[in-house]
Amino acid sequence: MNMKLETLVIDPPAPTRKIGGVILDLQNISLRFGGVKALTDISFDIREHEIRAIIGPNGAGKSSMLNVINGVYHPQEGRIVFRGQERRQMEPHMAATQGIARTFQNIALFKGMTVLDNIMTGRITKMKSTFVEHALWFGRARQEELAHRRKAEEVIDFLEIQHIRKTPVGRLPYGLQKRVELGRALAAEPSMLLLDEPMAGMNVEEKQDMCRFILDVNDQFGTTIVLIEHDMGVVMDISDRVVVLDYGKKIGDGVPDEVKNNEEVIKAYLGAGH
Amino acid sequence: MLYREAGQFKTSYAADQQLFPIRQDRIGVLLLLAAAFLAVPGMASEYWFSAILIPFLIFALAALGLNILTGYAGQLSLGSAAFMAVGAYAAYNFQLRVEGIPILVSFALAGLTAAGVGVLFGLPSLRIKGFYLAVATLAAQFFIVWCLTKFPWLSNNSSSGVISAQKVEILGHIFESPREKYLLVLTVVVLMALAARNLVRTSTGRAWMAVRDMDVAASVIGIRLMPTKLLAFAVSSFYCGVAGALYAFCYLGSVEPDGFSLEMSFKILFMIIIGGVGSILGSFLGAAFILLLPIFLDVGLPWLAELFHLPFSTATVSHIQTLVFGALIMFFLIVEPHGLARLWQIAKEKLRLWPFPH
Amino acid sequence: MQFFFEVLIGGLLSGIMYSLVALGFVLIYKASGVFNFAQGAMVYLAALSVVGCMEKGAPLWLALILAFAVMTLFGIATEKFVLRKLVNQPPIALFMATIGLAFFVEGLAPMVFGSDPRALDLGIVDEPIESILESAGMVISKFDLVAAGVAAVLVTSLALFFQYTRIGRALRAVADDHQAALSIGIPLQHIWAIVWGVAGFVALVAGMLWGARNGVQFALTFTALKALPVLILGGFTSVPGAIVGGLIIGASEKLAEIYIPPVMQSLFGGNFGGIEGWFPYVLALLFLLVRPEGLFGERHIDRV
Repeated sequence: MNMKLETLVIDPPAPTRKIGGVILDLQNISLRFGGVKALTDISFDIREHEIRAIIGPNGAGKSSMLNVINGVYHPQEGRIVFRGQERRQMEPHMAATQGIARTFQNIALFKGMTVLDNIMTGRITKMKSTFVEHALWFGRARQEELAHRRKAEEVIDFLEIQHIRKTPVGRLPYGLQKRVELGRALAAEPSMLLLDEPMAGMNVEEKQDMCRFILDVNDQFGTTIVLIEHDMGVVMDISDRVVVLDYGKKIGDGVPDEVKNNEEVIKAYLGAGH
Repeated sequence: MLYREAGQFKTSYAADQQLFPIRQDRIGVLLLLAAAFLAVPGMASEYWFSAILIPFLIFALAALGLNILTGYAGQLSLGSAAFMAVGAYAAYNFQLRVEGIPILVSFALAGLTAAGVGVLFGLPSLRIKGFYLAVATLAAQFFIVWCLTKFPWLSNNSSSGVISAQKVEILGHIFESPREKYLLVLTVVVLMALAARNLVRTSTGRAWMAVRDMDVAASVIGIRLMPTKLLAFAVSSFYCGVAGALYAFCYLGSVEPDGFSLEMSFKILFMIIIGGVGSILGSFLGAAFILLLPIFLDVGLPWLAELFHLPFSTATVSHIQTLVFGALIMFFLIVEPHGLARLWQIAKEKLRLWPFPH
Repeated sequence: MQFFFEVLIGGLLSGIMYSLVALGFVLIYKASGVFNFAQGAMVYLAALSVVGCMEKGAPLWLALILAFAVMTLFGIATEKFVLRKLVNQPPIALFMATIGLAFFVEGLAPMVFGSDPRALDLGIVDEPIESILESAGMVISKFDLVAAGVAAVLVTSLALFFQYTRIGRALRAVADDHQAALSIGIPLQHIWAIVWGVAGFVALVAGMLWGARNGVQFALTFTALKALPVLILGGFTSVPGAIVGGLIIGASEKLAEIYIPPVMQSLFGGNFGGIEGWFPYVLALLFLLVRPEGLFGERHIDRV
């Protein structure tokens, strides 16, 4: 497809990132499904602009933790303080309007839509026009569609996926789908980005690309990143602080070097015998 | 003239996001509209208008309504005919009870009434999905038809709820001949189809499709599920409601509640399955297919039977019709789940590359 | 009060008849995740094949065996030509395919066996049981009581079949997780064919009872519409749910039919009979709002 694009300017990069104060504070979070305890009394905080990794063996409760942060699950106990405000019940769409975006462990793209439409959907909270305006292609509708298209194209350029913008995502290979999902999250211009195993199932090259994108996002836009990842090399390389979960409990928290040498963490990963 | 977009460079997003971005599509649609508005009225016979073209357009509109709900927003409904009934009876009552109300206004109000009822029956969709919801829409089907039969006020005390539509008068002109009615129906349907296309290519449509494809992800990126689903119910029922009003006023003239049966709801569902789920073009193709098939069978089967000297009765024709409908539904779901619209799209993609195979 | 009980018991007994049809749905849904809208058409097909064979001179017992053969063939054919080709499609596509299947059968069956309504005589009369009529003054139909007995036997034997036979265990495994069942060597397609066969048998029993009561005619397909609210109430996956749901629906719709129209008549005038047509749906719908998974259904947690 041959398309000449209008001027493509990515927002000017934010000044070199500086880790700020606590943006999200999780206090004594417990989550149960019926009799199953998914999370037990977990507390940790996330600072502005940092890359915060959550690691732990399978079933440790990492994804549940992300689901608590953006309101998919509601913990039975505990306090969540976001930007200085405590919140109780929150629906996922409210998390989105507050600037929290995320990707999923098993890709959760809209399979019947094109890459461009998926990314445009990421900007939905920023659109104000009503369905009547849409139906009549009138008023704010046209203007908004064009303005947001431009923003979506910026994301597409940033992730280097121009060539597939009109392909239905269902037809894309896994690695590209993961990238599009990141794009959809980025399109919302989030202040906090939750990434659930963004590199699972990728080869080394794809992982490198993904790392580059994550670091760039963090660096250029100052986005706070919460990352679940199994690849320890990646985690230790790119994250500022790491929290370790096991069986729904927190067993370690700190900068990568601290965590690496934490007795309990080693035990959880290597088994009790060591 | 080949169907090819090479050489059509878009230099702005506006050009890339217009109603029909490819030049040949634009020309094709314009030609089709010109034919429908100018050529057909001069050529078609009375039979064609009142037995084929008018019902085709009306059912295409109803199918479009169902497609918005099922194809775009992913909520299966088995009660489309009931929402058409609401539209028909609402339009009748607005004409009957509001002095001097213009007919087009009562059509619009009929659509809105149906939309309101649609939202009411869409409420369960907030808690239930899939076939649970499909079964819930059956409640709408049975309950609405029952109400229209039993509350005499709704049909102005006529026996068993039969109503006769008032005459269609716009700006002092009475639309009486099938040709005039055809033009009226065509105008309404074209405008509403364009509006539907606008809806589905903008953020309203994207929100619907997002909910359809993955509702959890949709809510995580900030789509509020409740208003999005209810809007789909409202818009869909609006389309069905207007279709119902046209059905009573421009097609049959007199209707009864039992005419808007479950059978009819299924027929509309079949239209979108065969035409193409999630396609506006598909709603039209499907409506044409489902309406024309029985006509072909009516004509073709006795001829075939005679050819092979088989005994034949009219009951058999209707059995074969049912059987063929069922077989076709299964065939399309298995072989081409996106229906005729997808076949058309594949043909276009082939044309883009023609004469090169790849 | 006596009248109330009479209506209640009559409703409960006819509820059993709904349960019979609902049972067929549950079996297929449990094993293959298909919501089989064609169950009503299968009831029609089964009843038609019985009367069709009897018209050709077969005695009842032979007709029953032949009809069972027809239902089994039908099940195998459905699995082979429809379901197998739709593996991995979304459940809603499968559901729509079964609507197509229903139409197909509703067209085919009367072409083969004739479409005129016919009576079916099983040798049980539909008349009040005299002893109860004398002692309690209530009208309880013999036929309904027999139907209830048959349903009870059927449910018990199905439960035993699921619990204690090899096939039953395989069936439950398949219902739990298709992939896992395949990977330990359970032949999925055989199992599905068997389930459709069993569902065909259930349809045959339902077709006999419904046909004997109301005549063998096209209206038998509507039994599916009666069974749907039962399923919603009881949960799609639960055999006891189908029974309890049927009882609740049967009883409540008969009571509603007796007691609601007079109230409405005094409010609006006119005749408000025929509530039976929608009352079960509205009841089931209201119930869903409180408990979306039904009485006995499993609560589902979305993993993301």
